Amino acid sequence: MSPADPELDADAIESLFNRGVTDGLPVVPPTRPLVERAIAASGRDAGELIALVPPNYGRATVEKIAVNAVMAGCRPEYLPVVLAAVEAMCDEAFDLHGVSATTNAPAPLVIVNGPIRAELEINSGAGVFGPGWRANATIGRAVRLVCVNLGGARPGDVSMSTLAHPGRYAYCIGEHEEASPWESLAVEHGFGPEQSTVALLAADAPLGVYAQRSRTPEDLMPTLAASMAVISHHRMTHWGDTLLVLSPEHAKILGDAGWKKGDVRRWLHERLQWPVRELLPGRDGGEGLPEHVLAKYRDPGRETTLIPKFRSPEHIKVVVAGGTAGRFSAIVPGWTFSKGSNLVFRRIHR
Amino acid sequence: MTEYLDPTDSVAVPRKTASRPMSLDGKVITLLDISKAQGNHLLDRLEELLRERATPKAIIRKKKPTFARPAPDALRKEIVGATDVLVEGLAD
Repeated sequence: MSPADPELDADAIESLFNRGVTDGLPVVPPTRPLVERAIAASGRDAGELIALVPPNYGRATVEKIAVNAVMAGCRPEYLPVVLAAVEAMCDEAFDLHGVSATTNAPAPLVIVNGPIRAELEINSGAGVFGPGWRANATIGRAVRLVCVNLGGARPGDVSMSTLAHPGRYAYCIGEHEEASPWESLAVEHGFGPEQSTVALLAADAPLGVYAQRSRTPEDLMPTLAASMAVISHHRMTHWGDTLLVLSPEHAKILGDAGWKKGDVRRWLHERLQWPVRELLPGRDGGEGLPEHVLAKYRDPGRETTLIPKFRSPEHIKVVVAGGTAGRFSAIVPGWTFSKGSNLVFRRIHR
Repeated sequence: MTEYLDPTDSVAVPRKTASRPMSLDGKVITLLDISKAQGNHLLDRLEELLRERATPKAIIRKKKPTFARPAPDALRKEIVGATDVLVEGLAD
């Protein structure tokens, strides 16, 4: 290998940008030695097919994913996480076709559980959605580059999102399992605490909930519910998988009072329901129940049947993340139209 | 010279769009509603205009179960087998 040549590297960066294979930021030029090192760290064969990436169904082999991971700045040992994330988002249940092509704004959010968080220094604490941690930044970025380079999701070409959001650069968090009073998201979904997993959610940007004066569940829960009520818009109903990210302080309030995750889900589901007559489009706003739902009722203007915000309590996914100081939580809305995207898990193989 | 590896699937076969007919007369036209709100209004008007301005053999109306996913294989096969021209309607 020739010694580093800054001029050559700069040319490579320009050339890769001009080819349209980046996210707009400079990438690490994917030399064969760097890519081979990443493949070796994964313990997988270079040619092994991990997935076909919608909407263009490019072949995501271990090598192709490694090229994108190197470009994103991943260390070799991150590749198993990226491989699991790519496999998860290409699962039919995730609907990457819709996620990548829609005029809405979702981005694949990678949620990491298990011991690999500590091994790779994947941040689950202070500033969890923010910059400063290489693993979070580059694993999330690698997933985006795979969407573009193997899935064809070029903005303004195939990816037609009206607004998108900054999570489309990189969107990867760990769950702060050590600061949680409950079992982790992965354990809830059938994995062992010793297993490392990714969960992929097609996610809008996080919406912060400031609840600084709340000291009891009775204080906190209505505040959280009011913020969840406006996901998509204030009359959107029958929503699916959505993430409630509780800060450790908020989770402690609930845990100390004996609440379980299931109690949180059920409380929110029951609270977030409205009678049909309050969900009519064209009254105090153009949005409301769709025509085919209204057609079920003889007189929707008087109908008292309750319609829930979420299709079931199980669609409200709860994780604990963020720093141990601060009564701030976040709602991360999913992209969940009828038969739309669902949370998908994969084990990380090492 | 340093070798840089390709991040794309360069061996993927580029998809070709179907050839465009010179006339719609005598053709079977399918109008595919993708299930977005108001899509039926757009396609109703399009059907009117097609009948006004051309003499298609038939105009068939089909609908995807949801706009959020690709059309199911069965629906795609049904359309391909019976159609000369397809118009996919987006709305909102």
